[in-house]
Amino acid sequence: MSEHEGAPPGAVAKYDERQREILRGELVGLVAFTILALGGVIAISLALTAPRELYGYRAEHMYNYAGVQQVDFTTYLQRVNRPLAQASAESLAAYAEWQRKNPRTVNVQVLNKYLGDKYNETANVFAYMNAYFTPGVGQSCEYCHNLQNFAEYSKPQKTVAKAMLIMQFELQAKWVNNIPRPEGQPLYQIKCATCHNGQAKFWNRDLKASNPEAFGIAGGGNPTRYDMKHNGITLNGKVPDSYEIVDDRYLAVRPDAEGNVNYFQVTADKNTPAGLADTYRNQYAMYHQNVALGVGCDFCHYGGYFKSYVTADGKFKWPKTQARHMQGLLQDIALNWFPQMPNINDVTKAQDYYAQPNCYMCHRGYVVPPGAYDFAEYPVKVADPQIKPIVDLPLPKPILPPS
Amino acid sequence: MATEVYRESFERRANKVIYLRFLEGLADTQVGPIYLGMWGALAFFSYLLCVFITAIGFGEQVGWNPIRFLRELPVLTLYPPAPSYGLQLAPLSEGGYWQLATLFLTLTLVFWTIRIWTRAVANQLRPMVPIAFSAALFLYAAIYIIHPISVNSWNEAPGHGLAAILLWTNHFSVKYGNFYYNPFHMVSIYALLGSTLLLAMHGATILSALRYDAHKEIDEIEKSDEGTHRSQLFWRWIMGFNATAHSIHVWALGFASLVAIAGAIGVITSAPFFEPNWFLWGCRADIVSSIQAACPNP
Repeated sequence: MSEHEGAPPGAVAKYDERQREILRGELVGLVAFTILALGGVIAISLALTAPRELYGYRAEHMYNYAGVQQVDFTTYLQRVNRPLAQASAESLAAYAEWQRKNPRTVNVQVLNKYLGDKYNETANVFAYMNAYFTPGVGQSCEYCHNLQNFAEYSKPQKTVAKAMLIMQFELQAKWVNNIPRPEGQPLYQIKCATCHNGQAKFWNRDLKASNPEAFGIAGGGNPTRYDMKHNGITLNGKVPDSYEIVDDRYLAVRPDAEGNVNYFQVTADKNTPAGLADTYRNQYAMYHQNVALGVGCDFCHYGGYFKSYVTADGKFKWPKTQARHMQGLLQDIALNWFPQMPNINDVTKAQDYYAQPNCYMCHRGYVVPPGAYDFAEYPVKVADPQIKPIVDLPLPKPILPPS
Repeated sequence: MATEVYRESFERRANKVIYLRFLEGLADTQVGPIYLGMWGALAFFSYLLCVFITAIGFGEQVGWNPIRFLRELPVLTLYPPAPSYGLQLAPLSEGGYWQLATLFLTLTLVFWTIRIWTRAVANQLRPMVPIAFSAALFLYAAIYIIHPISVNSWNEAPGHGLAAILLWTNHFSVKYGNFYYNPFHMVSIYALLGSTLLLAMHGATILSALRYDAHKEIDEIEKSDEGTHRSQLFWRWIMGFNATAHSIHVWALGFASLVAIAGAIGVITSAPFFEPNWFLWGCRADIVSSIQAACPNP
């Protein structure tokens, strides 16, 4: 006998209708829950992530494994609303007069030493200055030169520029020319624009404190002072005010006897010291590189095993070995060059107001810095540079594809 | 029936009960009575202390600025002591807050387990809920206590904070060579996915047989009825076999507990003295042939 027999007329139908109502409610509830949950996740993600970042370093289409320049210098200047500087009419007239009187250079000390005798001709020096210095630093000739006597060092800017030029050639000869790279990948040259990007003063402590965005160190992925304190990040023995990829431990790293060097090694082995503070420090540095080069982690790494230089399908990760090499360049700037640049207020002293270099200083969100130039002239390694390194940093042994 | 007997006795003992009609369709509309008791009070105050200490740490981090506190809450972190402290006590602002907060958080969880155990016993229920909760407690202990003690450093434990636990998960995986190759993690994920599958199957099955009172699950466990029979026939048609109204709950409990237990074993075994690099373990074990190209040469 059915259990429904004996029920009042219409009760079963009413019961069924009630059940359908409940089912409809459940379905509506499930759909609403799904929409709310997914919508909530998307809304929170958007709220926590700047749209620029969404478009920027996470965009796969921006990856540039071939190391090809994504944006040239003039296009970059347009993007950041910065004019391409040109020599003023007054300085051009003064130069024409100077060149007429001095077809051979007077007191040129750096260009001819690194690039050859061609730069004993005033016209060639002018061509170099006009092509690289003026647009790179965003200033006309008179910013550094006495227009009546281009050879004299009456302006401190010229002394600083000369030291910077030596730094440029030394870094090029030591690091950039030796970067491990696959056959066919272009080699670029450092010029003033590579770091300056059309601005004379762009990288000092005051600017950094007032506008950290311009230094690639602002945003959620960067550690606060509190984060740095708890993860052992110090510079000159103190926790820095804002994040620096360059810290005391970074500056102390040297290649071992076999040329192996690890700036941020974190993967454990049997002898790894306990603690995750090193991993935090590593992740901050990696995030900085994400932002600085506009790439995601797998630009350099095989996602299955970050330590590996080879992916699961046997592809060699050139960007990882190149990034490791460039860490040496960064270390060299921080240890040997910035501390020796002349002080603009008293060129007999070293500057004490500089901000530590980082990847963003040149890369500006691109794999190849917008201010890098196609290779034109090889600077030679000079035996006796006017500015000598404080610390001898041997080149690390390059990690190359397994033969 | 058993549920109604229980409900009647429950309501008879209730001093004060309120009904929240807006919960209709979502949950039981009856709210209360709640039992606090000694263990409940201890758990409550211990948790209060944990939250208070964490809030002090967060406050110090944002310079006691309430706007910054609200804005930065998702990323504020109470860090464990630096590696140099090992397992020693650290000054408050250098990890001591974390140690205190973790102590009270641990006490909270222990008191809470005792509370649900004693309430189950007092209600003449088998203590299956506290047993299941113990699995989660084991995972907590593995992450916050057992693993840090085994490697001699509180620094390997997660910080307290919303983003902190996510960062710890990532960093722990990075340090130990990719946690996805940890076989215990694999089992844990398998059980997690299995749990959700079982839960969805069970929930949908019960709802599908609502018109036959299948939602009265406790009755069904004691006495099969038409809804249970139809549901079981459905799964026999679909899969060739079916769980019983009793065994499905055993499966669910088992799978859900396995998530935490396997995860905990995975954390404990990730250590320099056991397996410091799960990717290399995967290489040695040759568990996925496609990764061999990335494995270092032997």
